[in-house]
Amino acid sequence: MNTTPEVAARATELREEQALLRYKKVDRMFAVLLGVQYVAGIAAALAVSPYAWAGKERVLHMHVWVAILGGAGITLLPVLLALFRPGTALTRHVIAASQMLSSALLIHLMGGRIETHFHVFGSLAFLAFYLDWRVILTATVVVASDHFARGILWPESVYGIANPEWWRFLEHAGWVVFEDIFLVWSCIFGQRELQAAATRQAEIEYLSEQEQLKSAALEMALAEMQETA
Amino acid sequence: MTKRTLLAVAIGLAAVVWCGTIAMAFNAIRRFETTPGAAAKTNGVWPAASRVARTPGSWSLVMLVHPHCSCSRASVQELAAIVEAAPRHVQTNVLVYRPHDAKRGWEQTEVYHAATRLRGARVVIDTDGAEAAVFGGFTSGQTFLYDDEGRLRFSGGVTSLRGHAGLNGGRADVIRIAKQRDGKGTHPVFGCAISTTKETTR
Repeated sequence: MNTTPEVAARATELREEQALLRYKKVDRMFAVLLGVQYVAGIAAALAVSPYAWAGKERVLHMHVWVAILGGAGITLLPVLLALFRPGTALTRHVIAASQMLSSALLIHLMGGRIETHFHVFGSLAFLAFYLDWRVILTATVVVASDHFARGILWPESVYGIANPEWWRFLEHAGWVVFEDIFLVWSCIFGQRELQAAATRQAEIEYLSEQEQLKSAALEMALAEMQETA
Repeated sequence: MTKRTLLAVAIGLAAVVWCGTIAMAFNAIRRFETTPGAAAKTNGVWPAASRVARTPGSWSLVMLVHPHCSCSRASVQELAAIVEAAPRHVQTNVLVYRPHDAKRGWEQTEVYHAATRLRGARVVIDTDGAEAAVFGGFTSGQTFLYDDEGRLRFSGGVTSLRGHAGLNGGRADVIRIAKQRDGKGTHPVFGCAISTTKETTR
């Protein structure tokens, strides 16, 4: 069927409706996830490093305070936005940045364990639920900036050596970019599918409208014929 | 003020708190993780007053640990990597701090058990950090490498940061010196204080 401007406009409207519904749903999902991560961060700090010691004296470990206060700081804005401004681009990007910052915080709380770095890759995959590739970009910029800044300021925290080769940053970022390629592609593909579904829906609505118009015209013609007879 | 304006103000404030807290939290973490503990004060030779026996003809590796120090998990993990990579002529000793009035089993932590699993290592209970004081160490994770003549070859930590295991200059130096039987090295040490000031000065 040839798409008329009306059908195209209706398809865009339907796609935007569907996208908004999805954005709101994923925003809510992240609000819950960020809350769970906040609690998990505190639990991890309490389990891994509850106290700092000096001989037999102990004080609450700095990691516990960072998990409570820093974690709350990271979580507060995205959760507020998800609750009161769901579906907006700002909310999505703040959530993306916060999710990656949560990864960085968890990595520190777990003493830089290599296994905790998987949180970064899992988070990127979750962010792809938005089907908005720009969100993946924001998350990547945040995680790459953290990595790059630490690589410059205190390289041993990232590479284990004080004077790494300049290209070591690219080796680490490369794995994120590797995942990004597929996620961005899946977002674009998902948006196309949304568009196709919206176009089909608009066409069905258009055809149904046309059929209704035809049958209304037919009924009118029949009514006129009956009157003249 | 309308509800909409109030919400905008609330979100604006939350944005300021968000940026501020994130900057403060990561700066606090950076300062904490990169600030080393007190460096050891030694006279460069195996302390004659030590109760720890030195195996004749062997090099000696000594690590001081506070069993409850969470950062020392990484130190012992790195020590395990050193033990695996270093030549067999190195005798490893782990001195585990224990206050004299602590409950029975106080020192039986994950760090302690990890130390007992090290290949060929001797684990010695260091009551009130007396041995640590003899060696001149103040910080959990402090590592000393002495050659077969009792000369100090390495003094420092074997982790890159506080509580961070993984490749680092300290570990690499200890392995290199032990393998080549030559050279000297030092590296910042990250960990809890071995004993309180009172205990140290007693």
